[in-house]
Amino acid sequence: MVESKQQWKAWLYLSPAIALLLVFTVWPIVNTVRMALLEDYSIAAASGGDRVFSLGIGNFVKVAQYQNFLTCLKNTALLCVATVPISTLLALLVAVALNSIKPLRKTLQTIFFLPYVTNSIAIGMVFAAMFNIVGSVGTRRPNIVTLGIINNVIEFFGGHYVNWINTGSSYWANMIVLIIYIVWNALPFKILILLGGLQSINKQYYEAAKVDSTPRWRVLWRITVPLLSPMIAYVVITGFIGGFKEYTSIVGIFGESLGPAHAPGRLNTMVGFIYEALEQYHQGRASAAALILFAIILVVTLINLQVSKKRVHY
Amino acid sequence: MSQQTLKVMQSRDLKRTTSKQNIGHTLGTVGIYAFLLFMALVVLFPFYWMVISSLKSLAEYRMSKPTFWPQTLLLSNYRDAFTTANLGRLFLNTAYVGIVSTLLSLFITIITAFAFARLDFKGKDLLFAALLGTMMIPGELFTITNYITVNSFGWTHTFTALIVPFLVSVFYIYLLRQNFLQIPNELYLAAKVDGTSDWKYLWKVMVPLALPTLISITILKMMGAWNSYIWPRLVANDDMHRLVTNGLRNAFKDTSGEVNYPVQMAAVALVSAPLFMVFIFLRKYIMAGVSRSGIKG
Amino acid sequence: MKIVLQHLTKIFPSRNKKSDEEVVAVSDFDFEIPDGKLIGLLGPSGCGKSTTLYMISGLQKPSSGKIFFGDDDVTELSTENRGIGLVFQNYALYPHMTVKQNILFPLQNLKGEDKMTKEQMLQRAYEAAKLVQIEQLLDRKPSELSGGQQQRVAIARALVKMPRVLLLDEPLSNLDARLRLQTREEIRRIQKETGITTVFVTHDQEEAMSISDMIVVMKAGVVQQIGQPQDVYDDPANLFVAKFLGTPPINVFDGHVKGGKLYVGEDAVLEIGGVADQEVAVGIRPEGFVLDDNGPLVCKPVNVEVMGRDVSVVSTHPASVNPLVRSIINADNRFDLGNESVRYTIKPHKIFIFSKDNEERLRFEVK
Repeated sequence: MVESKQQWKAWLYLSPAIALLLVFTVWPIVNTVRMALLEDYSIAAASGGDRVFSLGIGNFVKVAQYQNFLTCLKNTALLCVATVPISTLLALLVAVALNSIKPLRKTLQTIFFLPYVTNSIAIGMVFAAMFNIVGSVGTRRPNIVTLGIINNVIEFFGGHYVNWINTGSSYWANMIVLIIYIVWNALPFKILILLGGLQSINKQYYEAAKVDSTPRWRVLWRITVPLLSPMIAYVVITGFIGGFKEYTSIVGIFGESLGPAHAPGRLNTMVGFIYEALEQYHQGRASAAALILFAIILVVTLINLQVSKKRVHY
Repeated sequence: MSQQTLKVMQSRDLKRTTSKQNIGHTLGTVGIYAFLLFMALVVLFPFYWMVISSLKSLAEYRMSKPTFWPQTLLLSNYRDAFTTANLGRLFLNTAYVGIVSTLLSLFITIITAFAFARLDFKGKDLLFAALLGTMMIPGELFTITNYITVNSFGWTHTFTALIVPFLVSVFYIYLLRQNFLQIPNELYLAAKVDGTSDWKYLWKVMVPLALPTLISITILKMMGAWNSYIWPRLVANDDMHRLVTNGLRNAFKDTSGEVNYPVQMAAVALVSAPLFMVFIFLRKYIMAGVSRSGIKG
Repeated sequence: MKIVLQHLTKIFPSRNKKSDEEVVAVSDFDFEIPDGKLIGLLGPSGCGKSTTLYMISGLQKPSSGKIFFGDDDVTELSTENRGIGLVFQNYALYPHMTVKQNILFPLQNLKGEDKMTKEQMLQRAYEAAKLVQIEQLLDRKPSELSGGQQQRVAIARALVKMPRVLLLDEPLSNLDARLRLQTREEIRRIQKETGITTVFVTHDQEEAMSISDMIVVMKAGVVQQIGQPQDVYDDPANLFVAKFLGTPPINVFDGHVKGGKLYVGEDAVLEIGGVADQEVAVGIRPEGFVLDDNGPLVCKPVNVEVMGRDVSVVSTHPASVNPLVRSIINADNRFDLGNESVRYTIKPHKIFIFSKDNEERLRFEVK
């Protein structure tokens, strides 16, 4: 009697969440799989009523053969492979350095967290300003008004300016700008997690190392990194997941054209591909791409977990 | 170890080692500070460049030799930015969506977490595990169908479309449930003895005790509204309902070539300012929330 | 308000789904607690004393049986509506509220005709605080209080709504030894002043004996004996009760009754009647030993512990169930450890014999 009343009450408390989850989480999972497996599915065609879609993997095949999709996949993978190790290593060094000082630590910690509380589109525009050459380059008669602060710095140190993002810029120049921005954006979270991990390491290990007069760098590689390995594994995994979903940073710097003026769409990513398909009402294709993205994230996560199981030292 | 080596080790010149060690240590510390200050500079520079650029005249910005402090402070850039991007409207829209969705989301999160933490019902563990399972799936997978759903509900170009699909966050439910579970069972029994209903216990005891978590959730949720870009672009990219990130991107389409950067940077600064304010006053809650969540916004 | 427990039984279903072994936490508890008394529920952990308390409070529902407060059947009444006060073992003060808010909380929940104005509530809270002498702590948070002070706040919170019944769950177990002594006097004083029928649970027999009007000794869900503390001590119903009450504990020996004589091991200590010849367990209170050079009970001395007023002689005896036999004798009796043996006669009212089969008390006449 009392128990059944509790049951009833619990479901009452849960009902808003469950109703919303059914509509906006459970149904999408089912429907995405369904749309991906119906050949050439699109809402427009479906609402016509008389068209019957046959089952098949045509959407996946089409997506995989699509040149644009392969570009997106390559861009995404490149960004992941470049940014995750760089940002993890930098974050590790910053965290270890922060952990070893007393004065200024709180202030610096706050500064390093700042990029987290930013709008990635807005700050992307700032980066664009820093790398942009005002005027025209890449045309027959370049007319340079100002090179942008980054090029100014390069020239100050005696280098030659680079066309980073303007018309005529190279793919690699674009990628480097993106990598710098993404690393800058990814640092705060990683520093926060790693510093938290460092602070929970028992001080006795360090005292023992001191007694054995171990040099600093060896303490770092032989004591700190192994003891920190679970946290490192965590930031690497979340870094990969975030990296595969990269999109807004590119919009921030290059705008919705996703590339310099002479090569729009050159820097598109997996997520961008999905939205493009969606905006063009190719729901079947978008679903197939989303499932591929899910599968890639799943596989990368599993590989990471497998590796860290062997490497994580406890 | 032989007697001989022991003797050699003991007769080392300890004095010289001490001074050598001191120099090494000092150099190391200087190196660490140099590295940290350099990194801090790298982190801060874009913000600095944003602010000083926003105060320059277009002519000064276009000088071939950059100035690191504006010759004349041109505050009119901010006025121009405000009108060009129609920022007032965007701020109001975003604040409305942020506040309404945060309040509703907090309410749903609280009662759901309460049911999972405090009440007994059939299939509780299974349901909770299923919920956690959905966290594995990238949001893009939901977006496709949700876009169709929102269209068929007739919600395109409404605030409803921006608010309702994201009211339930499994992660926040998980976070709050964990917090609720830490509250000792005796308090619940004591509240029963003191004549409290479940409902009153939730709001009078559990919610105040979980306040830090709830504040973290509030901030992250508000930041989410402020920074959301893709979904608003899909479902409500019209003048009446556009949110701030889209508005900013739309107002300044060009990022390279001939651009009026001072005004653009002023707009960027205006959009960033609220986030910094929140950060300065509520840093503790943001950092606590983030270190447990690992999700942006 | 008297409390009547009628055939109260609580059965917990088995935790393990595969076996359907049920746990009987409380079995057929039948007792009427007189109005205005302080009752101690006593027993080792897992004996069902806390379950009984929780059933009286309504936090747990009995599997069968009934509970009455006065003449009202409250068995089906939920905790909120029973009008009881309960002090938890770790006090369960609301950590985010001040002392004052904690004490006010139960009053704010009163409904209907019991509803009070703000002034009335403050007045009542202040009275409750005064009763437990914490008036000067009202604006502190629980975390700023010592264990003893938290305990008082918990009692004030339980008392403020003038409960029909006050329940205390191991009220002293989280306090240090000195505070424990002081607080138990305090509980006694408050109970006397308010006259509220009070039930408290403890595993500490000394605590229960020292302040209770009546004690209930429980074991494995079954009530062993109910009575005034001294009566239960002097006249235990079975071996368990005899062993559970008293410090130092009672000495237990293997013995037998044969031809009107009670033997401890091979020593015939007493001539008795009314018990048939059989193997028995013999319990002798430490204070029941009298040094006597011609006494019938012969022990081998090990050690003497001087306790000031008394002396405790530790010895061995071949029939003793425990490794050591402990007697307490007056310090006026000089005792020389050098002796080969120590001999005692036993005070007849300090010796109890129990059946070997069911450990029930066997009553005898001294001849």
